[in-house]
Amino acid sequence: MTPFVRSEGYARSKLVTGVLFAVLGVTILVRLATTVGLRFEGIPGYVLGIALVGLCVARFRAFAKRSGP
Amino acid sequence: MAEKQEQLRRSVTPWGSYSWGYADVGADIFVALGLVFGAAAGATNVAFLFAGLVYVCVGLAYTELAAAYPVAGGGQYFVMRGLGDLPGFLAGWAVLLDFTIDITLFAWGCVGYLSHLPMLSGLDAGNHPFLHFWVIFALIAGLAILNIRGVRESTAFNGAISAFDVVSELSIVFFGFLFAFRPELLVHAMQTGWPTSFAFMNGISLAIISFVGLESISHAAEETSRPASIVPRTSVALILTILIFALAYSNLALGMQPANPVPLDAAGHAQQFWQFLGAVQNQDKAVAVLASNIPLFGSLAALYVPILGATLLLISSNSGVFGSSRIAYSMSQFRLLPSLFEKVHKKFKTPVISIVTFCGLAVIELIFAAAQGDKGYEFLGDLYAFGAAASYTLVFIALIALRLRDPLTPRSFKIPGNIKVRYNGEDCEIPLLGIVGFVGIFMILIFVLLTHQIGRIAGPSWLVIGFLIYVVYRRRKGLPVFGSQKRDWSSDQIKILRAAGELELMDELTEKLKARGKTPAGPS
Repeated sequence: MTPFVRSEGYARSKLVTGVLFAVLGVTILVRLATTVGLRFEGIPGYVLGIALVGLCVARFRAFAKRSGP
Repeated sequence: MAEKQEQLRRSVTPWGSYSWGYADVGADIFVALGLVFGAAAGATNVAFLFAGLVYVCVGLAYTELAAAYPVAGGGQYFVMRGLGDLPGFLAGWAVLLDFTIDITLFAWGCVGYLSHLPMLSGLDAGNHPFLHFWVIFALIAGLAILNIRGVRESTAFNGAISAFDVVSELSIVFFGFLFAFRPELLVHAMQTGWPTSFAFMNGISLAIISFVGLESISHAAEETSRPASIVPRTSVALILTILIFALAYSNLALGMQPANPVPLDAAGHAQQFWQFLGAVQNQDKAVAVLASNIPLFGSLAALYVPILGATLLLISSNSGVFGSSRIAYSMSQFRLLPSLFEKVHKKFKTPVISIVTFCGLAVIELIFAAAQGDKGYEFLGDLYAFGAAASYTLVFIALIALRLRDPLTPRSFKIPGNIKVRYNGEDCEIPLLGIVGFVGIFMILIFVLLTHQIGRIAGPSWLVIGFLIYVVYRRRKGLPVFGSQKRDWSSDQIKILRAAGELELMDELTEKLKARGKTPAGPS
């Protein structure tokens, strides 16, 4: 498991899934914004969307740190 | 032995550390989803959001403490070190309640998920309660025998199951939101199904059980090389993943247009999908019911999600057997429990007395739960929530106390949001998020006591019984009951950091101690 986890391929695959998280997060945010708007009922969904985008950002930051100088 | 432990310590990789935690905490949503829907109804997503935000604070606190004190004792060790022997015992005793409940609750859930398969529908608690009881009993007995013989699932097996589960849960979330999510249904469910304040508090207190198992972060920390750098990285990813799944499932289920028609309720009335999910007959297999109702993907999910859920829950049940014996062993080493729990089997070298004792307690809990009929699963959930809320409350107090009493121990990760203060001539930091987390988890503890009829009696009774055992044991050994034994924590910390391979942090601590004229004992 260790060599795989340390490999470049694994890091890139995490980036791909990170992008998928962001796409799902943005989709949820847009659908809620257009349907629910700024009502109370949307709050848990907005938090979910932001968390998904946040996970993507965390993965990109980790990748940048790994490939940095 | 020391050499063997050293090898174990280096054997857990970052992925191993993550999957160890995930195999424990990740299974909780399989148990909690149906219970929370049964209580919080249309406010289930808000209940998960409240409990989830508290859980983020708890998770960050555990991350800081596990990275600074990488020992397997977890909450019990942190509380004992920060607050003294008696609070440490109470925290450990509350965690032991959770581990024994964990054994029964997750074995129950395992059978529940298997009963979702058409060929095993006879295992359903509602249809055949006696068969259901005996299968769970056999699972607990089997796990006890495996643990006495020293057979454990490997980290690699945990890793493979966790990876498969992450992919599976993500598939449910992706296909669910893609094919079945209707935001207007979510709004309708929240408006028409909003519960009473009492039911909402009950729902929040049950939602916390989807975030229990953070002790595994500490267990993994002791066997991870360089825990100070690895534990924060893996824990933060774990916390975010679990939070996302809990929020995603609850929002999806409330706003879902199911692929199959929703059956009538027990009274013959039409019901919404989320009501069907929270009905008693579906509470112990809610994720499988949710997944099998996603259009297109559901027919595939119906085949494998029950098996995956059952496997994950069985692993989690096993972690209850393993964890309870481990905590009891740690507590007896610190003279918080009789040395009986330190004794190991002559042939298998496993803590046989601990395993038999706590599996026996798990069977007693199973008998009590089975006697509740339809409410048996909820009864176990009540007790699980009490144990978690009680131990997490003490951990937050310990976090703040350790920041003040032990400011010299290097912390590679700190819970964000701190205020600098001067205490006992040292610069210290008070964690604001720790205070917020304490208020949140204390509120959940109050909710448990207010809303859970059995939990409010059985939970505190467990603590009182434990306290009496503690008093008798400490008096017989001539140890202080309300005070603490004298320990050289600085020397212990240096040994812990050295054993963890954190030599830079060890040197940093040694320098700080020397600068203050405190000479720690040399490494053993």
